[in-house]
Amino acid sequence: MNAIILSAIAGVVMMFSGIFSKNKHALTNTAIAGLLILLIGNILDTYHVYTITVNTHDMLHFDKFGASFNSIAIGATLLYVLLSGRDIEKVGVNVAEYYALVFFALCGISLLSSFNSLLILFLGVEIMSIPLYILTGADKKNLKGNEASLKYFLMGAFSTGIMLMGIALLYGATGNFEINPSQSLINVPLTHGILGPLGLLFIFISLSFKVSAAPFHFWTPDVYDGAPSVFTSFMATIIKSAGFIAFIRLFSSRSEDLEVSWQVILPLVIVATLLIGNITAVFQQSVKRMLAYSSIAQAGFMLFALYGSNDLAREGIILYATAYSLATIGIFAILIRMKDYTFDGYNGLAKKQPLLAFVNTVFLLSLAGIPLTAGFFAKYYMLASAIKEGGHSALWLVIVALLFAAVSVYYYFRVIQAMYFKDGEAEMSETNKGFRILLVIIACIIILIGIYPSLLLDRLYF
Amino acid sequence: MSETFVKILLGFIVLWPFAGFVLNGLGWHGNSKKAIARYACYMVLSSFVASVVIFFAIKSHGAYTVTYFNFLDTGSLKISFSFQADQLSSLFLLIITGVGFLIHVYSAAYMHEEEPKHYARYFAYLNLFIFFMLLLVLGANYVIMFFGWEGVGLCSYLLIGYWFKNNEYNYAARKAFIMNRIGDLGFLLGIFWLISKLATVDYATVFAQAQSLSNFDVTMITLLFFVGAMGKSAQIPLYTWLPDAMAGPTPVSALIHAATMVTAGIYMIARSNVLYSMSEVTMNIVAIVGLVTALFAATIALKQNDIKKVLAYSTVSQLGYMFLGLGVGAYTGAVFHVMTHAFFKALLFLAAGSVIHAMHHEQDIRKMGGLKKYLPITHITFLLGCLAIAGIPPFSGFFSKDEILAAAYAKNPLYWGLGVAGAAMTAFYMFRLYATTFLGSFRGTHDQEHHLKESPSAMTIPLIILALLSVLGGFLGIPEVFAHDSHLLKTFLSPVIATGAGEHLEHGTEYMLMGISVAIAALAVIFAISKYKKTPELGEPAGFGKILSNKWYIDELYDTVIVKPLNVLAGFLKNIIEKSGIDGLVNGVGRLVNYSSRQLRLLQSGQTGSYILFMVLAMIVIIFLWIDDHFIYKFISGLF
Repeated sequence: MNAIILSAIAGVVMMFSGIFSKNKHALTNTAIAGLLILLIGNILDTYHVYTITVNTHDMLHFDKFGASFNSIAIGATLLYVLLSGRDIEKVGVNVAEYYALVFFALCGISLLSSFNSLLILFLGVEIMSIPLYILTGADKKNLKGNEASLKYFLMGAFSTGIMLMGIALLYGATGNFEINPSQSLINVPLTHGILGPLGLLFIFISLSFKVSAAPFHFWTPDVYDGAPSVFTSFMATIIKSAGFIAFIRLFSSRSEDLEVSWQVILPLVIVATLLIGNITAVFQQSVKRMLAYSSIAQAGFMLFALYGSNDLAREGIILYATAYSLATIGIFAILIRMKDYTFDGYNGLAKKQPLLAFVNTVFLLSLAGIPLTAGFFAKYYMLASAIKEGGHSALWLVIVALLFAAVSVYYYFRVIQAMYFKDGEAEMSETNKGFRILLVIIACIIILIGIYPSLLLDRLYF
Repeated sequence: MSETFVKILLGFIVLWPFAGFVLNGLGWHGNSKKAIARYACYMVLSSFVASVVIFFAIKSHGAYTVTYFNFLDTGSLKISFSFQADQLSSLFLLIITGVGFLIHVYSAAYMHEEEPKHYARYFAYLNLFIFFMLLLVLGANYVIMFFGWEGVGLCSYLLIGYWFKNNEYNYAARKAFIMNRIGDLGFLLGIFWLISKLATVDYATVFAQAQSLSNFDVTMITLLFFVGAMGKSAQIPLYTWLPDAMAGPTPVSALIHAATMVTAGIYMIARSNVLYSMSEVTMNIVAIVGLVTALFAATIALKQNDIKKVLAYSTVSQLGYMFLGLGVGAYTGAVFHVMTHAFFKALLFLAAGSVIHAMHHEQDIRKMGGLKKYLPITHITFLLGCLAIAGIPPFSGFFSKDEILAAAYAKNPLYWGLGVAGAAMTAFYMFRLYATTFLGSFRGTHDQEHHLKESPSAMTIPLIILALLSVLGGFLGIPEVFAHDSHLLKTFLSPVIATGAGEHLEHGTEYMLMGISVAIAALAVIFAISKYKKTPELGEPAGFGKILSNKWYIDELYDTVIVKPLNVLAGFLKNIIEKSGIDGLVNGVGRLVNYSSRQLRLLQSGQTGSYILFMVLAMIVIIFLWIDDHFIYKFISGLF
């Protein structure tokens, strides 16, 4: 509960502090302070030290899993602001509002990690999404950004419509909005009756849109490319992971085998996502756009958590969210400082900025899932959960995923190749010491989790 | 002494040299050669002092096994990172750190011409070697031993190729590494075999459960271990790397390729004596391989003219004796010989280094002669080393070699006869070396003669200490016939090494055997001195001598039988299979991915309308799938 309330308050405070202060640095510092308070509040909540309680009539349900995810989301946002605060300040004049929107999005995320009713799910998704439509168009004078913002909004509205339709159908079938945690929705037999299962299918489609699973991913490359890079970083990491948490909450704790229809639909979506994300990323010339496709590809892997839906999957999605968010935030932080966003723009970076090139390499290796980085274990848990659930029938899916992981090595390594093996004059704007130290710390965390994943996973239970 | 204290102390023994490696390796001491050398030496000295403490603790208390952490924990197999400090390993600890320290000190002077950064690199490697060697002997299971085993191989490689600008040396380093890898593979397979049968690698459990292994398993495991020992301890057929390893600096040859690393194979078999004693077949093979190597290497040493090469072949030959000892069940004798050999062979190498140093890197004994009056200390110590290796009483080599030969006689008199023949050759070639180098008149250039002078004290003091040890070291193992219960080493090692064959000889027989071998060795010594004192062998040998001086053409044989066919095969795979087969496949996949990427990207048209159209189509497909999950199948079959 702490996270929901504090993030809402922090958002409002940020909005008003914009009236009193025009000093951008001060605003950034306020946001950092707010995030710190939010993080501490959430940790206090996790360990039941101090919790604000409000009677929610069982519409919210708090557990360790959700609270852990909140900590990761808030922590990642904190790192993100620390790294890229300077760049957020450069986007436009309304810095206070940008931070306020980030806090509101976090409020939506905390709702998504604890909803127990379809209404809250809807509220959470909308509270999280609407700030993003605005942030995408934050650079008001940039036509590309405006276009992206409008596109995002139009298609977002479309998906919201589908979700509402689904919720209405489910309500029609069951007569309430509650989700019974002991009996998961995905186990509702899709072929019996028509309203309930169809409603569920609609919610599935709408959430697939939110996490940019193919074939509902079309908005992703355009929006990620058009939005100011700092906000792309936020959208591609924290927001995307939150979508998966909502997904997992809705479809988890399944005890029996998947219904036959799900056994066909889910793998098809996974394969389509992996295919579109990985294959299209190969031909991109801009690192930013490549990262947009790579985020689709990574979503394909995260969907395995849905397929597995067991304890391994729950651990895995936390691990994946952490590994993926950290690495992507790091890569974006460096990308934003680059003068040229194309692959060629990275040529020869290793000679001019050996440290940054090195940490960037660690991030890219983690995304590719190379051992000794967190990304390796993240992928491992995902695939292991699928095997544990599906046995031999999941084997083909795992093999396909591995092949696509191999393809992903190609486009991630293109950046490494450009940095280390090509000659060129990679140009970068100034970076200060704190920025570099933070990046090194993130790289260390990635390697540490890659060697010793229980460090993170043991926090999930006790 | 409390277990915790031993645990901490053992940790430090291992970590000090490692710290030396890290700090010198990172260039901590910058350009001060003095600081570099001092630091490296102190690290090893600290380990030595601690080893002495451990030694006395074990002497009074018995063995310690300490566990640091769980190294591997997978299903049924649990491997802990633990050390076993018992009688056997503490003896090796003393040899490694003690001789190691002397050689560090010696190196500080010997390597003084090197640039600071290479000087630091040298000491970093040397410290790293000590670290791995200690790991090898301290490990309480085969996996930790294997770590050390691989590590010392790496250090050996690095140090042989220390002067990396000379390509010959790099080839020598590579050869050593590859030969060792062949052996390591055997060792590794042995460990796997052990794990598959007993699901453990801890010495204590393995030896306790050894009786449950079938005869075949024991034979295979011990044979595979022996393959490992062949590689590391340079036995036929994997011995050819050791003579080439002389490319490294001379102190390295003394430490790694004579005193310590090459005895790792002996240590491993002595450590596994419980397993080896169970397999008659392996024991015979070990004895025969050892004996043949001892003789074979000795014949080659007869005709070598490089001072270090003679010593190298002599090392191979002496290692052969140790394996003979192991093979006939005289484990203590073999370990005893490891110890005495460490003393006198380190001494001989270091003295040779002193000669080379004085001669400005000249290693050919034909260009030396008469060095006796220029290098008095080197001369005396070298002579003592020669007497020790030749087995002249009461020098140390006599006691250890005699113990092995006596055990060999008990097993099979033929082993003894051949062993004595080898010993005679040893005495002969060592004194040939001695006479050609130190006696007669100087045959080098005037310039060399002008600069001849005794080495600095940092080099001569280790020589003197080692000479003392070579002279006195034998008294640790006085045979039963001279005095009852005076074999201190055997008493000390008895908890680890079960006493086996070789001690049931009549006293009369033993006196006689001893007399014969000493007499033959003494004759060989006198013969060699009288033969080479006045007229050293200067020309190129002819006839049979030519075959010997070309080392029986074994290198050429390996080249023709193994290397060339492999190269032909590799050429075929590279030019035919890879170029046309694999490359095509790999590039084809790449092209396919690239092509699909270009096509798929067109889906992203930028038109919101078309995006929504695609989404709606996808929804329709999904709903159809939900209604009937065979929809796609039917749809596709309907098309055709």
